[in-house]
Amino acid sequence: MLKAIRHFIEQSWLLIVASFFFGLLIATTNTAWSPRIEQNKTTKINNLMSGLMPKAEKFELAAELQIESSKGKKVKSNVYKGLAEGRCLGWAFNCEGPGFADKIELIVAVDENFENFAGYAVLASNETPGFGDRIKLPLYRQQFAGAPADKLELARTGDAEKIDSEIVAISGATVSSEAVIKIINNFVVQVKEQMQKKGLIGDGK
Amino acid sequence: MANNAQTPLETQGKKSLTGQTTTSLYKQTLLAGLWRENPVFRLLLGMCPTLAVTAAVKPALTMGLSVIFVLLCSNIVVSLMRKLLKPHLRILMFTLTIATFVTIADLFLKAFVPRMSETLGPYVPLIIVNCIIICRAEACASKNTLVVSIIDALGMGAGFTLTLCVLAGIREILSTGAVWEVNILPAGFVPWAAMSMPVGAFITLGLLLGLVNVTTKRNAKT
Repeated sequence: MLKAIRHFIEQSWLLIVASFFFGLLIATTNTAWSPRIEQNKTTKINNLMSGLMPKAEKFELAAELQIESSKGKKVKSNVYKGLAEGRCLGWAFNCEGPGFADKIELIVAVDENFENFAGYAVLASNETPGFGDRIKLPLYRQQFAGAPADKLELARTGDAEKIDSEIVAISGATVSSEAVIKIINNFVVQVKEQMQKKGLIGDGK
Repeated sequence: MANNAQTPLETQGKKSLTGQTTTSLYKQTLLAGLWRENPVFRLLLGMCPTLAVTAAVKPALTMGLSVIFVLLCSNIVVSLMRKLLKPHLRILMFTLTIATFVTIADLFLKAFVPRMSETLGPYVPLIIVNCIIICRAEACASKNTLVVSIIDALGMGAGFTLTLCVLAGIREILSTGAVWEVNILPAGFVPWAAMSMPVGAFITLGLLLGLVNVTTKRNAKT
């Protein structure tokens, strides 16, 4: 037994020492830079929310919700309240779902009563450059500003300037366009329900 | 694999003990990565980032610099512990070393260049499985002195970075008419969208590889 332990140590001592040293190095680096990384994330989310609700002076975290994604997994969604002079201007929340190439993460903003969308912004996506990544462009995004905060539908053709629940797909990027609609539809209904249960918004009756 | 990648460079240096030979050996090692043993054009290593992050020069340069950092650090560590390495555990040690420095590079990009980190996406963590780095650890750093390993890392890293930048420059100019966000081509130029897509990467790389092969054959004849 002792011989076996000795053999094991002789063979692997360098690996054990190196693992400990490298682990310590990564832990130190992570401790030093993680506040900055977190700050970068917060700044990005705040900038995106400010773009969607330009009149809001600040955003306060109102709720941390668990939303069921289209694949049945629970996804954390933070809901922020946009405030100006102490008055609620609207709500913004993060949502995600599968896209054409990879996961798409969005920030969606709605008005204070959860009746109309203020718009959406892309937090992260790896959609095809020149095609699917046009979900980031105003040409597609502007159709959501003012649209009813309910189930949206995708139309292959139509008037993109008309603001209603029918969203005209990006030519050559139907899958990415549809992915955005599915993500928003899935999240907006559940976020609205959970916020009504928490008494953060009225139940619309 | 080229010859001097398989033979310990310090052994070659011992053939002559003059300072001239050592300097020339260092120079040869440094220049090998730029042309004779260029990791992309001659060894066909690191194809994943070469194809994936060369749609524009900025991400290509960032990827190149990240690879230089990881290559340099891993070569230093591997060279320092080369006499302690057990043959059957060496790949495990290389991977552990490389993974550590890739994690640090990834954290650095997330902390100080977050936009670029998002642009590069999963390709920074994927440096862990980049064949160039494990190849240099195995072929050079585990057999040579610290100085030779450092020079090898700088040469190979610079060769990889330059290749990525050339590929990215061609693709960015043709897909946007600009390079580093500065317009190069006339206003009437119609951008070739395909050049920013994977097909553009394959075509450009294929043409450049062909060009390098033709040039090498011509040089060999003369």
